[in-house]
Amino acid sequence: MTGRARRGARRLLSEVAEGVRIALSSMAGNHLRSLLTTLGIVIGVMTVIAIVAIIQGLNQSFAAQIGNLGAHTLYVDKWKWLTTGEEWWTMRNRQSMGRAELEAIEKEATHALAVAPQVGMRATVTAGDEELTRIRVTGTNARQLETGGGTVAAGRFLGDPDVELSRSVVVLGSDVADRLFPRVPWDQVVGRRVEVKGDPYTVIGVLARRGRMLGMDLDVNVTIPYTTFLRDMGGKRSITVAVTSAPGELEALEDELVGILRRVRRVAPERPDDFAINRQDQFLRLYEKLTGALYGVAVGVGLITLVVGGIGIMNIMLVSVTERTREIGVRRALGARKKTILLQFLLESSIVAAVGGAVGTGLGLGVALLVALVSPLAAAATPSAVLLGLGFSAAVGLLFGIWPAWRAANLDPVEALRYE
Amino acid sequence: MSEPLIAVDRLSRHYVVGGEVVRALDGVSFDIRQGEWVAIVGQSGSGKSTLMNLLGCLDTPTAGTYRLNGADVETLSDDALADLRNREIGFVFQTFQLLPRASALANVELPLVYRGLPRRERRAMAEGALRAVGLANRMHHRPNELSGGQRQRVAIARALVGRPSLLLADEPTGNLDSQTGEEIVRLFGELNAQGHTIVLVTHEAKLAARCPRAIKLMDGRVLGDGPGAQVALLAGARAVGV
Repeated sequence: MTGRARRGARRLLSEVAEGVRIALSSMAGNHLRSLLTTLGIVIGVMTVIAIVAIIQGLNQSFAAQIGNLGAHTLYVDKWKWLTTGEEWWTMRNRQSMGRAELEAIEKEATHALAVAPQVGMRATVTAGDEELTRIRVTGTNARQLETGGGTVAAGRFLGDPDVELSRSVVVLGSDVADRLFPRVPWDQVVGRRVEVKGDPYTVIGVLARRGRMLGMDLDVNVTIPYTTFLRDMGGKRSITVAVTSAPGELEALEDELVGILRRVRRVAPERPDDFAINRQDQFLRLYEKLTGALYGVAVGVGLITLVVGGIGIMNIMLVSVTERTREIGVRRALGARKKTILLQFLLESSIVAAVGGAVGTGLGLGVALLVALVSPLAAAATPSAVLLGLGFSAAVGLLFGIWPAWRAANLDPVEALRYE
Repeated sequence: MSEPLIAVDRLSRHYVVGGEVVRALDGVSFDIRQGEWVAIVGQSGSGKSTLMNLLGCLDTPTAGTYRLNGADVETLSDDALADLRNREIGFVFQTFQLLPRASALANVELPLVYRGLPRRERRAMAEGALRAVGLANRMHHRPNELSGGQRQRVAIARALVGRPSLLLADEPTGNLDSQTGEEIVRLFGELNAQGHTIVLVTHEAKLAARCPRAIKLMDGRVLGDGPGAQVALLAGARAVGV
């Protein structure tokens, strides 16, 4: 660095320090005015931060719930998730998914880590005098825990022999275990007898508590071998096949599955697929579309408020420039360049706005927390939201400070010194 | 002989007011050497304020040239003028023009801030300047805690702190009672004795008469230039001439 550049840098540094000092002392000198000036910014930032925090909180809890479906799992189904009305009619007439498809996938899908069929209905489950109605009964195989998540808390999960021999065994969801056998420890529930839709079953395990997903309680269910399901509950039901891919092979797996299914289901080359391959991010995408609109509205409202706040800042800065005309003249006489004065007033407006933004951010997070406390909505205070609030308000201060600062910088020093 | 500190040659400043040209300054020429104490004296409207603004590099002339310490002022950019004011000129104003929310020390430091000096160096120089004007025990007072005379001393310290080549004082005693004014004039005398070049702009003939040299202006022209005692007492009529 040349000596000249170093002097310039040092001068800029001391001018910035002086500008910050002036801004703070001017704010300290006008408490009420500073407060009123920044009120617009405070409210704007508060609104945006609160809404963003709530939406992000919702997103996080939604993503966590969706995560239960398994990010690397494809769901081969007769039905496509999230369909429109027209599609429904074509899908209704499709041939059901059955063992043929399941066995083909198990045998041929090289990119699959785990393949688990899922077939379900609601049925009454009883044990002694306890009777539970409309419990979700899922027929599946030993791979279910790998594709759909969940862990065994007591006993064991379904094994391959259970499926091959169509044994009448059942794994209880934690909630079902608690309600059928009140006050009985789970490891003593294992081995008991229950009836599912009137048929006797032996309890071989209890699943650990999982919570809710998309309003569905994951702990109110019972799991039996799918072979048993098809034998006892009706073999015409369409099966969903959950297929978990090896890491990074989700796309390859999807292509592979399409090929296998088209062949097994004898889809003519010119015909479209008569099946659907679903995945969890379909839900995420739909959800993001919904909250995206909400986001847009919130940000729009916040921006309008910030502009109003910015106009407030511009107004007060113009007043401040007029009030300090003589001071500006003195500074110019003592050697301040035009850009020095410009910098000073820009610093002042952005600091005022950033302080407003900081207060607004704090209040906004407070509001979000309050909402999270008194309502089922979640709130997440992410650093990005805080940075966004501070950055935006400082930018507004900077933008709306340009004109007042430009006026201050271009005052004629002679006139400014004479100003009464 | 070395170059004079100030060389003013046929300097003019015209304003256009309501379509009419006002010749506030109309072809003024003089030199001021290093170490001189010169009063610029005249009635209001004589052009002395306009001349002061030009000498202070706050304004640029319509015609003529002004060399200050080797720099051709009328050719300089706005930034260069600001730097020139910062380095070469110490202003003392009639109304002191101190920043009300800053301490005496901070006020005196201000020119050094714009020079980009490090904080510690600034502090030391400002303390020295305040001591030099007899305010060693008032450094942390704000202007409204100081008397008029003390405020003007702070202003003089601020003018001196950057070691400029020219002290430019505009009616420095105008807002002071006669005794305090007298003290300030004596301070200027001492500063001049130490080698500072002083240009003092005033309408008071009595004050100008005490300066070793005075330049009397009238209607934008030089009416007289010579020892203060003689020039200051020149009658304000054109008929007298010089």
